Amino acid sequence: MDFRETEEQQMLRQAVDSIAAKYGHSYFTEKARSGGRTDELWDELAASGFLGVNVPEEYGGGGMGISELAIVLEQLGTNGCPLLLLVVSPAICATIIARFGSDEQKQLWLPRFATAELKMAFAITEPDAGSNSHNITTTATRDGDVYRLRGTKYFISFADESESVLVVTRSGVDESTGRGKLSLFVVDLDSPGLEKTLIPVEIVAPENQFTLFFDDVEVPADRLLGTEGDGLRQVFMGLNPERIMTAAMANGIGRYSLDKASTYARERSVWGTPIGRHQGISHPLAKAKIEVELARLMTQKAAWSYDAGLDAGEAANFAKFAAAEAALGALDQAIQTHGGNGMSSEFGLADMWGLTRLMRTAPVSREMILNFVGQHSLQLPKSY
Amino acid sequence: MNVVVCVKQIPDPAAPQALDPETRTLIRQGKLILDDSDAYGVEMGLQLANQAGGDVVTLVSMAPNGETSGLRTALAMGADKAILVSDDALRGSDALSTAKVLAKAIERAEPDLIIAATESTDGYTGTFPVQLAELLGLPSITFAKKVTVGDGTVVVDRQTEAGYDEVECPLPALVTVTAGVVEPRYPSFKGIMAAKSKPLEQLTVADLGLDASQVGAAGSRQEVTDVSAADERKAGEIVQDEGDGYEYVVRFLEQLKLI
Ligand SMILES: Cc1cc2nc3c(=O)[nH]c(=O)nc-3n(C[C@H](O)[C@H](O)[C@H](O)COP(=O)(O)OP(=O)(O)OC[C@H]3O[C@@H](n4cnc5c(N)ncnc54)[C@H](O)[C@@H]3O)c2cc1C
Ligand SMILES: Cc1cc2nc3c(=O)[nH]c(=O)nc-3n(C[C@H](O)[C@H](O)[C@H](O)COP(=O)(O)OP(=O)(O)OC[C@H]3O[C@@H](n4cnc5c(N)ncnc54)[C@H](O)[C@@H]3O)c2cc1C
Repeated sequence: MDFRETEEQQMLRQAVDSIAAKYGHSYFTEKARSGGRTDELWDELAASGFLGVNVPEEYGGGGMGISELAIVLEQLGTNGCPLLLLVVSPAICATIIARFGSDEQKQLWLPRFATAELKMAFAITEPDAGSNSHNITTTATRDGDVYRLRGTKYFISFADESESVLVVTRSGVDESTGRGKLSLFVVDLDSPGLEKTLIPVEIVAPENQFTLFFDDVEVPADRLLGTEGDGLRQVFMGLNPERIMTAAMANGIGRYSLDKASTYARERSVWGTPIGRHQGISHPLAKAKIEVELARLMTQKAAWSYDAGLDAGEAANFAKFAAAEAALGALDQAIQTHGGNGMSSEFGLADMWGLTRLMRTAPVSREMILNFVGQHSLQLPKSY
Repeated sequence: MNVVVCVKQIPDPAAPQALDPETRTLIRQGKLILDDSDAYGVEMGLQLANQAGGDVVTLVSMAPNGETSGLRTALAMGADKAILVSDDALRGSDALSTAKVLAKAIERAEPDLIIAATESTDGYTGTFPVQLAELLGLPSITFAKKVTVGDGTVVVDRQTEAGYDEVECPLPALVTVTAGVVEPRYPSFKGIMAAKSKPLEQLTVADLGLDASQVGAAGSRQEVTDVSAADERKAGEIVQDEGDGYEYVVRFLEQLKLI
């Protein structure tokens, strides 16, 4: 067993770090608050191939895995630039397409995921289905050469800046279980009949969330991914990377918080001694450090399992849960360590709260993870 | 054209450092990284070489414990190959004995142009490159802020206190570059993945035909006899600007003889 990252992974971390450090958290919040986009950062990362590290080499990508993509996002988070888009476009969408897309579909999209010129949103959540994906009611009905999509998705991130969206639909019913049969489509966001409205959220991040209304949206049949009705299995393929990437983002925020807090605690002196000497300050930070490092270890394991083709479900859920909690704990203690400055915009901590808090809820809630662990890891009876 | 870039691998300046109590030199046990100063040299080398046209950029480094991390970073930036000299016998080398060793290593790459930084970040004697040029019998141009290579010559804008001199000299030659001469690229992901398979030759003192008594502490003419802590920085002077702040600024700059 070897817990060290490869030399390549260390260099990747270093290179992303150098780029992200040039931008930093003030760039991130400035863009978020002015409604701008982080195109400069995105483009610079893309030009070096860092946003396509997990895309197969034959399509111009880096040919590596989620481990490497997670490193990219963690280092962005460490520099106060946690780009949510990485959790979705390259991690969920590119993964599902690389795995289930036809040759033509892969040719069409993967080279543009490799260069990150293509941004693709992902839509599973619905107002009425909630965490129960079996209850999805956005329907896809075959009509000659096209499918017609009807229904509503909400909280769909960056539907404004993406070119298309990977939509999870119901295309039939499984006779034996009575459950919906799911199918996945890649839908252009400028398709006629597709409307979007902004959902205001209390998150300081450059990405926006939208409700998407599909009113008889015509989607060519060649936009169906894989086999019709096989969508549930396909989505699951993308959900482990999504969880691992969420964990990586949280870990980055955790490290960002601890770095700020420890620097401040070393320098700030109130009773003639640095506040970091008081155990009331140092112990909670030490505890947060342990929790963040444990979360990083589980994230690494989950990513490694996924890349090795092993079942990564359990580790990915452990990692996402642990990382979200550790990041929240670290951020909260960093704010506390900063006293009143913890709440000032200048110190770049309190504004991270919304985004960090989100990770306890999305992409899968804390409760649904605990359900999963109860049922699968502990074989406890299902409650719902 | 064969371009050789000297690359020093140093302890991470951001991490806390310690001196060996006996030799009073920096402890270099942990991981070493590419000296930022040399990232400019690597970039310069890559820009001057037409790699597609057969020009070769070779990195040369001397470092303890077979350290290659910094070299891999520079290979990831795009250099073609690397030579590392590492040997226990080199412990305690001063700048001149480092130059003697690397002169031997660099000869093997048959350089047309050798690039080094003006001074390293950790040792910063700024003496190694000119000693190297002297040992190789090559002309050297220091403090380059712009470098172009013509037909068998190199033309350099050489930073001076007053401005810069334009200097031209025949190749082969050695040039030291200042920080900011070019903007170093970040390694791309493809570069990072390719770095591992690029040739990296590791040499010992014996491989270079040198005798252990000529190098390391044995061959060094310098010895660190004493170290003392730098003076604490004095508290700055705070001036309330009541509309006449510029007068203080002018007086201050005059004091420093800057204006
Ligand atoms: C900023 C933001 C961005 C998002 N981006 C996207 C996106 O890009 N694409 C996308 O598809 N979705 C996105 N989402 C949606 C997100 O994934 C969901 O909000 C999340 O999965 C929770 O689903 P829900 O909101 O329907 O909550 P509900 O399912 O209504 O749950 C409400 C509460 O009940 C709990 N609960 C539900 N069922 C159980 C149970 N069986 N046992 C115990 N507790 C239970 C939940 O844990 C939760 O606390 C985003 C959300 C936000 C806020
Ligand atoms: C008495 C004494 C003992 C020492 N003992 C040790 C020891 O045990 N272990 C140890 O590691 N160091 C030791 N050093 C320091 C080390 O020898 C010097 O750092 C080295 O000689 C180069 O000097 P510099 O860093 O001042 O180079 P500078 O002249 O400031 O360097 C300018 C440029 O030359 C190039 N260059 C310099 N050194 C190298 C190199 N090694 N490889 C490739 N390119 C290079 C780089 O481009 C660099 O930016 C010792 C120094 C002294 C004086």
